[in-house]
Amino acid sequence: MTRSNNVAILGGAATPVGKLQGVSEDGTQQLEHEVLGKLIVEALADAGLEKEDVGSMIFTLPRPYTQQKYFATFMANYMRLPCDGLVMEVLGNGMTPALTFQVAVDQVRLGRTKVALALGINFETGTPAREHMMSSMRATGDVDFHTPFGFTPISWYAMDAVRYIHEHGSSREELAMVAVKNRRHAALNPLAQFRKPMTLEDVLAQRPIVDPLGLYEVPGRGDGAVCLVIAEEEVARKTGRPYARIRGEGFYHEGAHQISEVPNDMIAFAAARRAGAKAFADAGVSAGDLDLAEIYAPCTIVEVLVAEALGLCPRGQGARQAASGETALGGRIPICTSGGLLSRGHPAYVTALYSYYELLEQLRHRGGERQVKGAELGLACTELGNYNAAMVHVLEAAA
Amino acid sequence: MTLPIISTKGVRAYPPRMSDFTKLFWDALAAGRFQTTRCNACNRPSFPPKPICPHCWSESVSWVDLTGKGRLYSATTIHAGPAVFAADLPYRVGIVDLDEGLRLATRVLDATELDQPVELVVLNHEDGPLYAVRGIPA
Repeated sequence: MTRSNNVAILGGAATPVGKLQGVSEDGTQQLEHEVLGKLIVEALADAGLEKEDVGSMIFTLPRPYTQQKYFATFMANYMRLPCDGLVMEVLGNGMTPALTFQVAVDQVRLGRTKVALALGINFETGTPAREHMMSSMRATGDVDFHTPFGFTPISWYAMDAVRYIHEHGSSREELAMVAVKNRRHAALNPLAQFRKPMTLEDVLAQRPIVDPLGLYEVPGRGDGAVCLVIAEEEVARKTGRPYARIRGEGFYHEGAHQISEVPNDMIAFAAARRAGAKAFADAGVSAGDLDLAEIYAPCTIVEVLVAEALGLCPRGQGARQAASGETALGGRIPICTSGGLLSRGHPAYVTALYSYYELLEQLRHRGGERQVKGAELGLACTELGNYNAAMVHVLEAAA
Repeated sequence: MTLPIISTKGVRAYPPRMSDFTKLFWDALAAGRFQTTRCNACNRPSFPPKPICPHCWSESVSWVDLTGKGRLYSATTIHAGPAVFAADLPYRVGIVDLDEGLRLATRVLDATELDQPVELVVLNHEDGPLYAVRGIPA
C-alpha cells in the first residue's frame, strides 16, 4: 500500500482477562489506574519508545462501576503526561474499544502526534449479571419499545441463531463447535479467561441461557485492561522492531438499532459485509488473502454470521466449516486464535483492544503455541447492537 | 380492526415512557387499536410511531390503524434476564413482520414456529398497556 501516512501498531501490553474487581478479605482491592499504569509502561517498553514520545491518549470509557470519573484526565495526571494530541474517553457499546483504536490512529494520521496510546480498563465483575443487565438491556434496544418486553443483549443473537438454523438447516451442534474450537485456541493463550479443555458434550450439557444457546455459547463476564502503542510508520520503522501496519479500514452503520423496522435479511449482517468490503478495497486485498481473523462474536452464531458476511465462509456454511475445522488453528482460515469472546473473555469495553493485540502478536510471530505459521495479513472486525454497525481493520506484518 | 384485549394482573415490570406524541399510541393501544404513523409525503409507514418520517424526514405524518397481523420472523426463550424481569423467567420474545411491511419486537405468548401467522394482542396491566403476539390458524 502506498498510503503516504501509514500508521502502525508498534507495541502493546494486556492483563489476563478474569475477575480482577472486588475487595479482598484484608480490605485491599485492585485499582484501575494502578493496573493500567503498569500496562502503559510495559507497552512502551514493548514498542521501544520513551514516555516523551507519546502525545495522545485515547481511553475506552470505564464501566460505571469504576469509582474514578474523568478517568482519562485523571490518568494524564497519574502518569504526568502532557499531550498535544487528544486526551479523551470513547464510548460506543461493544464497539467502544474499536472506536478508541480508530481515534488514536486518526490522531497519528492527522499529524496531531507521532505516537498515541489506545488503552482502557473494563472492571465490572463486582456487579452481579442480573444487575448489570439492568443497564445493558437499555443499551441494546429501544428503551420504550423493546426494553419493556425483557430483551437482553444476547437475546438478539439468539434470534439470529434460531433464524439461521431455520433457513440453513444447520444444527445447534454445529454452532456449538464454534465454542469448542475457540476453547482449544484459548488453552494456548496465557491472556485467556477460560482455558480448561471442553468437549461438544460439555457445551451441550450446560443450562440454557437464551435458546438455543447455553452457558458456554454466550460470553462469561470478565475484567481486563489493554494498552496499545500507535505510531507513524516512520517511527515504527526506526525502532527496528517488527510491527503491524494498518493496511485497510472500513466502517458502516446500517441506520438501524437491533432490528430494522423495514423487514430485511437480519442474518446477512449487511454492516459487516459493507465494512469488510470497504476495508478490503482500502487494503487492496480480498478475503482469501487473509491468514487469520479476530472477530467480535459474543455468541457462537455471531462468529458464523460475520465469517459469512466477510466472505471467509460461503453463506449458510459457516457453522459447518467451523465444525469441520476450517476456521480452527491449522485450518483454512483460523478465526479467533485468541479464543475469542467466549474463551479469551469479554470485558466488553476493552474487548476489541485484545483483538488488535492478538493480531499484533500473530503478525510479529509471537503467538507461541497458537501462532499461525507465516502470518502476514490479519483482520479484526467489531460491532455494536446486532451487528447494526461494523468496523473492520486489515493489518499487515511489517519490519 | 380491534385487537384482543387481555386483562393482566400486576404492573408492567419496566413501563415505557410516554411523550405527548407517543401517548396517542399507548392510549389507542389500551383501547385495542394498534396505530402507527405514515408519512404524508412518501406514504411509508413507520414503527415505532415518529413525528418525523425516518425515510424522507418529512414532518408531516398521519396516524393509521394496523391490522395487527403478521408472521413470526424469529424468537427465543430467555432463561437468564435482568433483575426486573426475574419473576417472568423463562419468557419468550420474538421478532414479528407485520402484514403492512413493518418489523417489531415483542413478547411471544405461545410456542408458534417461525414464519407462522401471529396476531398482536393488548395486555392491559393495572398501570397501563403492553402488547404481545400469539399464533393464529394459518
